[in-house]
Amino acid sequence: MIFESYIELPALVAWVGRWHPLILHFPIVLLLIGIFLGLTGKKVPKKLLTLAVLTALITAISGFFLGRESETKGNLLFWHQWLGGGLALFAALWYGLEGLQLKKPIYSKILQIVLLVLILFTGHYGGMVTHGEDFLALPVNKKEEKIPENPLIYAHVVDRILENNCVSCHNANKQKGQLLMTSLDNLLKGGEVGNTIIPSDAENSELIRRLHLPLEDEEHMPPEGKKPLDEREIKILERWIALGASDTLRLNQLEDSEPLVALVKGLMEPDPMEKWKNLPKVADSTLQNLASDYLTINRIAINSDALSAAAFLPPEYDPQYILNLKRVAQNIVELDLSGLPLGPQEMGLVAQCTNLEWLELDRTPITDVEIDTLKNLSKLRLLKVYDTKIGDKGVGVLKELQSLKSLYLWKTNTSQNVLDDLKSTRTNLIVDDGIDDEVKEFFIKSDSLVEEQ
Amino acid sequence: MMEEDKIKSENPLKVNRRHFFSQLSVGIGSLALGSLLIPDLFKNSAGQIAQPTLGIPHFAPKAKRVIYLFQAGAPSQFETFDYKPILRERMGQDLPESIRKGQRLTNMTANQDKFPLMPPKVGFQQHGESRTWISDFFPHIAKIADEITVVRSMHTEAINHDPAITFFQTGSQISGRPSMGSWLSYGLGSENKNLPSFVVLTSRGKGNSQGLYSKLWSSGFLDSKHQGVLLRSGKDPVLYLNDPEGISRSDKRHLLDQVSSLNKLHHVETGDDEIESRIAQYEMAYRMQMSVPDVMDVSKEPESIIKLYGEDCQVPGTYAANALQARRLAENGVRFIQLYHQGWDQHGNLHDEMEGQAKDVDQASAALVMDLKQRGMLEDTLVIWGGEFGRGNYCQGKFDPNNYGRDHHPRAFSIWMAGGGIKPGLNYGQTDEFGYNVVENPVHINDFHATLMHTLGLDHEQLTYKYQGRRFRLTDVAGNVIKDLLA
Repeated sequence: MIFESYIELPALVAWVGRWHPLILHFPIVLLLIGIFLGLTGKKVPKKLLTLAVLTALITAISGFFLGRESETKGNLLFWHQWLGGGLALFAALWYGLEGLQLKKPIYSKILQIVLLVLILFTGHYGGMVTHGEDFLALPVNKKEEKIPENPLIYAHVVDRILENNCVSCHNANKQKGQLLMTSLDNLLKGGEVGNTIIPSDAENSELIRRLHLPLEDEEHMPPEGKKPLDEREIKILERWIALGASDTLRLNQLEDSEPLVALVKGLMEPDPMEKWKNLPKVADSTLQNLASDYLTINRIAINSDALSAAAFLPPEYDPQYILNLKRVAQNIVELDLSGLPLGPQEMGLVAQCTNLEWLELDRTPITDVEIDTLKNLSKLRLLKVYDTKIGDKGVGVLKELQSLKSLYLWKTNTSQNVLDDLKSTRTNLIVDDGIDDEVKEFFIKSDSLVEEQ
Repeated sequence: MMEEDKIKSENPLKVNRRHFFSQLSVGIGSLALGSLLIPDLFKNSAGQIAQPTLGIPHFAPKAKRVIYLFQAGAPSQFETFDYKPILRERMGQDLPESIRKGQRLTNMTANQDKFPLMPPKVGFQQHGESRTWISDFFPHIAKIADEITVVRSMHTEAINHDPAITFFQTGSQISGRPSMGSWLSYGLGSENKNLPSFVVLTSRGKGNSQGLYSKLWSSGFLDSKHQGVLLRSGKDPVLYLNDPEGISRSDKRHLLDQVSSLNKLHHVETGDDEIESRIAQYEMAYRMQMSVPDVMDVSKEPESIIKLYGEDCQVPGTYAANALQARRLAENGVRFIQLYHQGWDQHGNLHDEMEGQAKDVDQASAALVMDLKQRGMLEDTLVIWGGEFGRGNYCQGKFDPNNYGRDHHPRAFSIWMAGGGIKPGLNYGQTDEFGYNVVENPVHINDFHATLMHTLGLDHEQLTYKYQGRRFRLTDVAGNVIKDLLA
C-alpha cells in the first residue's frame, strides 16, 4: 500500500499541475478587481479578497507542480515561477494587512501597486513559456536574408532551416527534450535521446530519423500542428550530415555531382513568382473578354497576374484582336505571335509590353525596322526571330538587350561575321543559328530509307 | 458558382440527388447546425460545383506541351540504352538465382528449366560529353546524346502488354481511367482552340506487334472534349470532318447555327452540360475543317527539313511522317501529341526485327529533337521516348546467339526524355550488373507521371476529378516528383 501511494502520488501531482493554466485566470481577475477597488478608494469586500488570495495560492502550488514536469528550466520558466511565488506571497500579505485594519491606507496602496506590477510580469512570462518568446513581438515581414554567392553550408543554409523550423522549441528558454538547436556544438551534444546528429551517418542520426517518421507518429518532428519540413530541406540536412556535418564546408568545395550542390542552389534560386508580384491586377472577366478562337490568354499560374498570350492566324486577318491586348500590356510576360503577317501596329503593341520575357516572332515579315521597337524590352529572356528578314542592323539592337539568354535567328539576312561577333561579345547568350552543318550532313548521308534502296 | 445556381433555379431538372439533399437541409435546422459544425459538409456534395477553376497551372510551368514517342511492344533495354558487358562474359550461363530471387515471370518463360544469359548482338558506344551508352542501332539518337536524359531505372508492376501500356497511359492497369493527355487537357485547357488539345498518331513497323485500342486515349470519366483525337494518314485525317459533296461552307455554317439554336433550347430544358460540350465540339470541328488540312500539309516544309527527318517522312503513315507532323502540331499549340510505333515485341528473331524497328524511328526521333531545338521549342516542349516495360536478360526458348528473343521484364527498363524542363545530358538511375533489378534511383510509373505533370506546372496531388464519390488523380495514391531530373 505504501508503495502504491508512492507511485500514484507523482501522477496525481502532475495532474493537479495540469489545472494551472485554467485556475490562473481566477486570481488574476479577482486580484485586479480588488486592486481597482482599493486604488479608487473603495472598500475591498472581505469575501472577494479571501477568494482572490485562495485562488492565487492554489495557482502558485499547481504551477509549481506543472513546473516539475519540464526537466530543464529555461530562463523564462525560472522568472515566471519566482514572480508567481512572490505574487502569491504578496497577496497573502495584503490579506494579512487588511485583517490588521491599518490606519494608514498608503501601505495598502503600495502593496496593491506592487501586486499589479507582479501580475503583469508573471502573466507575461507565463505567456511566453506557453506561446514562445516572440509571440507578442510585432509582426515582421519574414524577409529571408539572401543566401550569399558561395555560402557556408552550416551557417547559411542548415542553420537557416533549423532556425525556421526547429529553434522555436529548442532554444535556451524552451529546451524541449533537453535539446538546443541554436549552435553546432549543441546539436552535436544532442538532447535527452542523444545521437541527434552523428557526423557522416545521416541514417542513424535521430534528427533525420524523426523527420522521416510518418506525420501522425508521436515522435515525428516538427510535432503535429507545425509545418513539416519540405523534401528539399530534409535532403539538405541529410546530405550535410552524411558529408560530416562540418561548419566550415562551403558550396564551392563540393563536386558538381554531389546532390547537395543542386539542393542548395535550388534554395538560392529566387521564387519565379516573386518578380511578378507587383504587376497590376487583372480580372478573370478581362481575360475572358480578350480571348477568342484565335487568341489564347492564360495566367502563368493560378493567382498570378503574369499572363501568357498566343495568337493564331484566323481565316481573315485583322490585327485588332491582337491590339486589344494593350489593356493588359504590362501583364504579358510571354507572347507568341509567330506565323502572323505582323506590321508596325502589332509591333507597337509589343513595344508596350515592357515586362515581356518570352517573345516569339518567328516566321513573320518583320525586318530591322520592327526589331528596333524591341530595344526597350529590358526583361526579354528569350526571342525567336528565325525565318524572318532581319539583318545585321537588327542584331545590333538585340546585342544591347542585356537580359537576353536565348536567341533563335537562323534563316535570316544576317551575316556570319556579325553573328560570330555577337557570340563572342555576349558569352552568356545562346545564339541558335540552326542545326550544325556537320550533323545535318550526317543525317542526309545516313538516311535509313535511302540506304535500303 | 453563381451561374450554376442560376441554372439550377431556372431549371428544376438540373438537381442531382446530393444537391437535392443539401437544399433540403436549408429547411431542416439540425442539418444546418451540422453544416456549421463541419463547414465542408455540403460544400462539395453537389456534383461538380466545387471543381476548381481549371485551364491554369498550379505554378509557373517549364513545359507547355508534350510529345510522347511511345514504342509499343516494349523495346529491349539491352539492345538500346542499358549496356551490360557481363552478359557477353557469361553468355549461355544460367541467370544467378541471387539476381532473380524467384520473381514471377510470364507464362511464356516461367516453365523454362534454364535462363541462359544472352548478350546483345549489336555493339554499344559511349556518345557525347555525357558519355551516354547507346547501341549501334541508333546512330542518329547518338548524335543528340547531350540533349537527352536517359532513365535506366524505370519499373512497373505490369507484366503483359495491355495492362502495362494502360498503366503508362492512364495510371492504372485496369482500363477506364482518363488518359494522360486527357488529364493535361483537363488541367491546362487548350492552347489553340482550333485544334484538339490531345492528338494521337499511330504507325507500325515490321516487327512483332501488339494491338492498340482507342481506350488508351479515352477521356474516361472526364468531359468527352478531353478525349484524344486520332489523326489518320491519307486524305481524311479526321473521319467525317470534311463536308459532303455539294455542301458549301456557308451552308454548313447555316446548318450549325440552326442545330446550335435547337441544342440551346434543349439545354434550357434539361440543363445538361454535355449539350454545351456538344455545341462547342461542333464549332471546333467547323474550325478544324480549316486548321487540320493546314497543319497536316507537309508540302510547305523545305527540302532541308525533309532530309533531316528522312525521305520516309513524305510517306503518310510512317513514323517519320508522324514525327514531322508532331512538330507541326506542337507548333500549332496542341498540348499532348501521342505517337505510337508498333512492332517492338521481340520474343524471337530479336536482332533483325529490332534493327528494322530502330531504322523506322532512329532518325526521325533525333530529327524531331533537333528540329524542336532550333525552333526554341525544346525550351517548352517535353519529348519522351520509351515502351511499356523492359525485356529479360536471358534467352527465351532455345539458346541460339544468332536468333534469340527476350521475354517481358517489368523490373527495370530504359526510356529517354528531352527538353521541357528536364536536365539535358543526364544518365539517371542504374540497374544491377545483369540489368535485372534497379539498384539506384528507381523511377516508378507513378513517379514518372508526377514528374511529367510537375514540368507542366501541375501538382499531381492537386489535379483531381471527383467521380463516383471519390477524387481521382493520374497518380492515384502514389508518385513522387523526381527532382533530380528537373533542370
